Amino acid sequence: MEREKPRTNCAHRSWDLADSLVTPEPYYLRRREFLRVFGLGLAASALLPPAIRAEPADLNDSLNPVFKLDGVKLTPEDLVTSYNNFYEWGLAKDQPKDQANRGWKTRPWSIEIGGLCANPRKIDVDELIQLLGPTERRNYRHRCVEAWSMVIPWDGFPLAKLVDLARPKPEAKYVKFSSFFDPANCPEQRSHDFPWPYTEGLTLPEAMNELAFIAVGLYGKPLRNQNGAPLRLVVPWKYGFKSAKSLAKIEFVAEQPKTLWNQLAPNEYGFYANVNPNVDHPRWSQKSERMIGAGFFSGKQPTLMFNGYEKQVAHLYTGMDLRKNF
Amino acid sequence: MNCFVKILANKLFALAIFVGVGIWLLVIPALIGGLGANPVEKLLHQSGEIAIWTLGAVLALSPLRVLFPRSRVVGALNRHRRVVGVSACVYGLLHFACHVLYEGDLDDLERSLSKPFIWFGAAGLSILIALALTSNNWSIRALGGKNWKLLHRLAYIAAALLMYHQSIAGKGHWQIARWLLFPLAALQIARVTKTLLTKCDRTRSSMAAFRKVATPS
Repeated sequence: MEREKPRTNCAHRSWDLADSLVTPEPYYLRRREFLRVFGLGLAASALLPPAIRAEPADLNDSLNPVFKLDGVKLTPEDLVTSYNNFYEWGLAKDQPKDQANRGWKTRPWSIEIGGLCANPRKIDVDELIQLLGPTERRNYRHRCVEAWSMVIPWDGFPLAKLVDLARPKPEAKYVKFSSFFDPANCPEQRSHDFPWPYTEGLTLPEAMNELAFIAVGLYGKPLRNQNGAPLRLVVPWKYGFKSAKSLAKIEFVAEQPKTLWNQLAPNEYGFYANVNPNVDHPRWSQKSERMIGAGFFSGKQPTLMFNGYEKQVAHLYTGMDLRKNF
Repeated sequence: MNCFVKILANKLFALAIFVGVGIWLLVIPALIGGLGANPVEKLLHQSGEIAIWTLGAVLALSPLRVLFPRSRVVGALNRHRRVVGVSACVYGLLHFACHVLYEGDLDDLERSLSKPFIWFGAAGLSILIALALTSNNWSIRALGGKNWKLLHRLAYIAAALLMYHQSIAGKGHWQIARWLLFPLAALQIARVTKTLLTKCDRTRSSMAAFRKVATPS
């Protein structure tokens, strides 16, 4: 047997290949198996429901003409999705856009409907949307208690539909909304500055009002995390903090529920929190508001009673002292 | 180290830092449209934030000098107390200008003046203006060192007023104010403790010396 010669004099030819470039034999032999598995996966992904795919599909709903808001300019989408009060993801308004999108999963998501109702359930959010849909679009004014405002095209369904589905018992007088509570994935919720989870509440008649809305989308697309994905409350005649985001639980209760901002500063944030230019926040005026996106030298615009929804909701508060029940 | 201390001690360097902060955080974002959805509010908050941190910086300087009398870095930084203090006032004035712009018209401005957080801000800023106006050598001579020092102790009151102003200006802002309050308070407590201890020490040693002299041999 001839011994291999040392390679010192061996000239490299142009077709010589480095060992590192050669596919090892076992992989070469399994190439068809790879194609089969990969190809099947690719085909299967086309059959998945849209919500599971990476890029969520548009909601394809149409504007409800009752809530068109004639003559009002919508706040540009990039401002609505980059200027958010969502303290779970940072105190500054430009933080949630980044911090809520660092791996926080808002799908799959289950929501619990319970308390004093005949039809309690724990249900996947997409099932719930199927059940209560189709979604509709509504342009709503949004007035923050901090005296700024937007006009936002929400997609979703009336809260009344959800209430009807749950069938509250006669002793249920309020609806309590709780946001997600996930300190493992949400660093802010590990601090004790706020009594997490975020909680809010409405009276049952308020929840049944035609304006009370559950939003699952915005500008025709599923809600972004920073806007309260996968679903949130929208009550346009109240200050923005009433519209709790990323809901995990909706309960029917007999007593007025404790709400987060009301617990922190009861003299500043009332349970009702109706937009009211005549009742100032103890520390700042509520007479006017700065419209987001209106420009550098635009100044402020006057704030409207019940944020302009007086016709639809004023009857809910007849005989009530709005100065006391702020 | 030597070179580093020399740069730190340079007056022009200090001025560049405090003008640079404004250019970096206010002017450049305004020019490239980086102020976000509510640009006037952003300018308002940013300028106020710069002002209060700058004030915090100047208040940290003298306690640091007492605590680390031999540190050359602390010594170099202490040369800039005037520049830092006047910068705090300038950013405070800028902050007030932004507030006028934010309110937009006279009605809204007038309404804002009825609110306590504005009073605290205005009181604090008035003190800063008075201190900036008397920060020149002529004022020190005119007032006399002792009076001047006493007057400029008002900076502590201004800081307290302004921190309160910041913590009540918004929704849940007390979280931000404490990041400045706690370190400053800790520095002051350390400084006062050290001063008292040295005073005690001095009295004790002078008492001992007195006894030695007084004892008949």
